Amino acid sequence: MSKHSHREIDPVTGHETTGHDWNGIKELNTPLPKIVIWALILTFVYSVIAWILLPAWPIGRDYTRGLLGLDQSDIALEDYRALATKRQDWLQPFENVDFSALQADDVWQNNALPAAQRLFEDNCAVCHGMQGRGIQGFPVLSDETWLWSGTPEEIAQTIRYGINTDSADTRYAEMPSFNWMERPDRVALAEYVVLLGDGSVKPNAAAATLFSENCAACHGEAGIGGLENGAPALNDSSVIYGQDFSTVMQTLWSGRQGVMPAWTDRLTQAEINLLAFYVSRLGADEKQVAQ
Amino acid sequence: MLKLHYNLERVSMGLVAAIIIAASVGGIVEIAPLFTIDETVEVPDDLRPHTPLELAGREIFIREGCYACHSQMVRSLADEIDRYGPYSQAGESAYDHPMLWGSKRTGPDLARIGGKYSDEWHVRHLIDPRSVVPASIMPAYPWLLKSLDTDLLTDSLATLSELGVPYSDEMITSAASDALAQSRPDSNETDGFRARYEERPAIRAFDGDPARLTEMDALVAYLQALGTLTVVSETVVVEVDE
Amino acid sequence: MIATLTVSERQAGLLLSIILAALGLAMAAAARQGVMSVHGFLALGLGVGLAFMLGGAIYDPEPDEDRLRSYYDAPTQFGIVMTLIWAVIAMAVGVWVAALLYWPEATPLWPETSFGRLRPVHTTGIIFGFGGNALIATSFHVLQRTSRARLADSISPWVVLLGYNLFCVWAVTGYLMGSTQSKEYAEAEWYADLWLVVVWVTYFVLYLRTLARRNEPHIYVANWYYLAFILVVAMLHIVNNLALPVRWSSAESFPIWSGVQDAMIQWWYGHNAVAFFLTAGFLGMLYYFLPIRSGRPIWSYRLSIISFWGITFFYIWVGSHHLHYTALPYWAQTLGMTFSVMLLVPSWASAGNAIATLNGAWHKVRDDATLRFMFVAAVFYGLSTFEGSFLAIRPVNSLSHYTDWTVGHVHSGTLGWVAMIVFGAIYTLVPQISGRDAMVSSRAIEWHFWLAVSGTLVYVVAMWNAGITQGLMWRAYDENGALSYSFLQSVQAMAPYYLLRTIGGGLFLAGAVICAWNCWATLRLAHGSAKDRPLLPQPAE
Ligand code: HEC
Ligand code: HEC
Ligand code: HEC
Ligand code: HEM
Ligand code: HEM
Ligand SMILES: [Ca+2]
Ligand SMILES: [Ca+2]
Ligand SMILES: [Cu+2]
Repeated sequence: MSKHSHREIDPVTGHETTGHDWNGIKELNTPLPKIVIWALILTFVYSVIAWILLPAWPIGRDYTRGLLGLDQSDIALEDYRALATKRQDWLQPFENVDFSALQADDVWQNNALPAAQRLFEDNCAVCHGMQGRGIQGFPVLSDETWLWSGTPEEIAQTIRYGINTDSADTRYAEMPSFNWMERPDRVALAEYVVLLGDGSVKPNAAAATLFSENCAACHGEAGIGGLENGAPALNDSSVIYGQDFSTVMQTLWSGRQGVMPAWTDRLTQAEINLLAFYVSRLGADEKQVAQ
Repeated sequence: MLKLHYNLERVSMGLVAAIIIAASVGGIVEIAPLFTIDETVEVPDDLRPHTPLELAGREIFIREGCYACHSQMVRSLADEIDRYGPYSQAGESAYDHPMLWGSKRTGPDLARIGGKYSDEWHVRHLIDPRSVVPASIMPAYPWLLKSLDTDLLTDSLATLSELGVPYSDEMITSAASDALAQSRPDSNETDGFRARYEERPAIRAFDGDPARLTEMDALVAYLQALGTLTVVSETVVVEVDE
Repeated sequence: MIATLTVSERQAGLLLSIILAALGLAMAAAARQGVMSVHGFLALGLGVGLAFMLGGAIYDPEPDEDRLRSYYDAPTQFGIVMTLIWAVIAMAVGVWVAALLYWPEATPLWPETSFGRLRPVHTTGIIFGFGGNALIATSFHVLQRTSRARLADSISPWVVLLGYNLFCVWAVTGYLMGSTQSKEYAEAEWYADLWLVVVWVTYFVLYLRTLARRNEPHIYVANWYYLAFILVVAMLHIVNNLALPVRWSSAESFPIWSGVQDAMIQWWYGHNAVAFFLTAGFLGMLYYFLPIRSGRPIWSYRLSIISFWGITFFYIWVGSHHLHYTALPYWAQTLGMTFSVMLLVPSWASAGNAIATLNGAWHKVRDDATLRFMFVAAVFYGLSTFEGSFLAIRPVNSLSHYTDWTVGHVHSGTLGWVAMIVFGAIYTLVPQISGRDAMVSSRAIEWHFWLAVSGTLVYVVAMWNAGITQGLMWRAYDENGALSYSFLQSVQAMAPYYLLRTIGGGLFLAGAVICAWNCWATLRLAHGSAKDRPLLPQPAE
């Protein structure tokens, strides 16, 4: 383009046009603003610095590692370890637990409780509810009745290996199917169990015999439970699947074998103990709140 | 320079060529090395391909657009390791055509979901998420209880094996019966399934009903396999523990 | 539209329609059942319908000889109509999808209306249906005007438009039926992908042939951008969609790429779908309609050169910024980050060039809502590219990735930039091709403008808040080194923002409906065709 053209000058900006006209569109030949060049240089310098410091350019079967020698996974693990170290102060006591010592300790209230709560919400709440109040099919943890035992040690055992899982140390519990039983008997049993639940059962009902013959071995005489074999008490208000007639009929027909996952591979020992402690206190805390 | 351009913009084919060149460099430099750099192409020794049932589940995961809300990529960041488990490694998805790393987490990451919950929970959650998680905004998928169509499985495995996924001829021909066997613990076909896929994949009635092979069986089998196809992930945990 | 074709063109069209119908029939017969057969029947229906239309009118009066001395605007008009139809449908689906995240049970329990299937209907419908039709329609208009030549022939524009819309319909109905490859923005299955290649090659050839007849030695900037759009999208589409069908008679396929390579190729594609579909093409639109409407010359030719080549060269490198901290090797992430930062310069140069072009026309911006659409588009283009470069910085991305911040960024780009420039172009173009001075209702344009701006702001601000809240909650630690929030708490925290977003989207949709009505009313009252003419009439080929 020659500098000494006689091209049209735009009256607004005073800049020369390029002399083209595309259906009425013209262009000004405004020189590149300096700031664009500077911005290009600046961002380029930034990039070169980044390329020198960080892994950046592939070469054949390898790449430039950068002067800082950074590796994103190492950094992440380092950060993670730093967090883990920070947690040691209050998580350490949970490593090999003496739960009774913790009861009064304010390490618990101030430091561990929020962490336990978050762990519970991210891992357990989908089954046991945000406050451990359970949902249909999954047991309530915020009451005083337990399938196995309410001591933190036993709870930790449950969390570690689960119930009815593939783990070698799993707790095992099965409510067998009574589909071999005559229907009238099942109906009688179911009606009996419903009444057990609200405490209005007649002690010498005919079904009581059926119950003590077939069920008491696991659920205890008159369904009082507490045998720590995974079979729930049937004479209280705490239920897993439901203690209305049709649900009990369903339970008797198909049996039940709920699965509580095992957490050893997912949570650390200390975290599991922390959760066990948290769960063991849910009932007591709930009561306190209620009062 | 300006002069050069002034001439270039008069020749349409010149412009075309220049655009192609300018827009190719970056892609070539970034993509080609991913096929050659050793540490990138490494596939873990113990990586197993999906079983036919899991593969069918993966197709359902894709069909329903679960990836629109769930990533399957734990990034290398401390908080993600903390929340989801070991960060994901490239080798883990080496057999995934396509990868499902995702770009949005409306729901949580699923890369490590396998084994976290029980089959029964998944079934109930998928049929009606709000029945188990009242605050959930995940859609319900009650139609997954319909029977699984295993018609395409043999051809699917064959296609994947052409693309380099290690399925043997036997696996390919028995794909449909293997899918059934994996969902039916008491059937006779489980021996053949075990012989082909060894001990690792779980054999269970994933939807709770061994009598029917449903889409739910497939999807739950897939979800329970996520993060368990190789144990590389565990090395990361061990490293952290010491 | 048939009235614009000669008898021999109608015969050629008839032949093509029959071929399409035969293809559709073959597809339906081979697949027998499922989505591929439905799609076969769709193609069959389209082919037969077109054949009847053409066959029935084949000996109708031909257009006069003079037709070659005017621009061929019928395809543009058709493309604009399709743009508006897709806009209303896909934005409505967007609002629907947004509502589902607030009222998850709002949709009946049908597979077709579940979130995961509707979301890609929204993205494909809006990007390819709305955006793509707008690009093709305006590219025909711009190409002819800036070349001062008529389109090279009268058949291929129809092949492009009808074929392209068939692709879009195949894609979105496929997702509804559960057929998808899951690759974001490339979800359509293998046969639709192949079909799009055929359409795209036709488009490219038509573009080049028309350029070859131009009456202006220089090719105008808008065409550089349209060319880059056509070429690079072809390249991306082919590489990313390479797949082996499970059977030739089945819709299912497996992409040939896997794992980390697939991730990089997917986002090389995905990002550059943004770059060359949602940016380059629309910059072409801006470069034509902004100077036309404002009556001002482009502020700097030299700046145009720098920004065009900067955008073309830098953009292609940055796809890896979608994979920060993932299993993609660190080196590739560094390249993605640094090039994203450099990319800001040509991006802002384009936005700056557009805004500086308005110097001397600010009174028009104030008075003319159409020009205001274009001005706002340029501003949002600048904003969203700045935001993009910022999000591409690794530590920032560690917070924003996977959150609604990305969605906020997306919609500041798509609502604020893409949709606004389309509306500006439509309001300029529709009166012109209707032979009118103006749209039927300028008050409606004014209404549309304010609905669009307020809708965008509500949407984007809600999503910024949502995303940053989410990102912070996910990584918040208490002073004891324990995570503060569970994931579910972050889900619950989103509710108000999801509601706001739905409202913002509703406002934007309302504007688009007004636009569709206004265009319909204007086209209905058309006084003949566009008054401008090509320079030298070319003999027909
Ligand atoms: C997939 C669902 C699920 C998840 C997740 C889950 N549980 Fe359970 N949990 C169960 C089921 C089901 C049972 C009852 C098993 C049975 O029916 O025998 C149970 C039982 C228990 C018990 C025994 C209750 C008793 O009365 O003895 C404890 C304690 C427990 N869970 C704690 C936890 C903790 C802590 C977590 C999180 C780390 C957790 N659970 C996660 C399903 C789950
Ligand atoms: C072999 C031991 C065993 C025997 C015998 C047994 N149960 Fe059970 N029962 C269990 C176990 C274990 C569970 C808990 C299963 C679970 O949570 O998955 C249970 C659960 C139940 C429940 C559900 C409780 C709830 O909270 O929803 C009912 C009802 C019940 N049993 C009734 C009976 C009756 C009636 C009989 C006799 C016909 C009986 N059980 C015999 C072990 C047994
Ligand atoms: C609209 C977005 C959305 C879609 C689509 C979606 N989900 Fe979810 N998903 C969520 C949300 C939100 C949660 C967290 C709340 C909950 O547990 O329900 C979740 C939770 C989950 C969980 C539990 C994860 C955990 O660690 O607690 C699984 C498993 C899951 N989804 C699987 C799926 C599958 C499989 C599909 C497709 C068939 C799917 N999701 C589709 C939003 C979605
Ligand atoms: C009425 C206006 C619109 C509404 C209400 C709307 C709503 C939505 C919603 C709810 C999502 C899903 C986000 C999520 O998964 O959380 C989405 C995604 C998306 N929308 Fe829109 N949208 C609108 C307009 C547009 C327009 C005009 C475009 C493009 C031209 C567009 C392009 C996209 C894209 C590309 C995504 C995917 C984003 C991602 O994957 O990060 N949208 N939209
Ligand atoms: C300089 C220009 C730009 C840069 C550097 C850029 C960068 C980015 C980054 C870093 C992300 C987030 C990736 C993630 O964390 O997952 C993103 C997402 C996105 N951007 Fe941009 N952006 C730019 C301009 C635009 C424009 C103008 C538009 C639209 C018109 C746009 C549309 C999108 C879309 C649709 C996504 C979502 C992709 C997905 O996850 O589905 N971007 N962009
Ligand atoms: Ca089954
Ligand atoms: Ca595709
Ligand atoms: Cu990007």
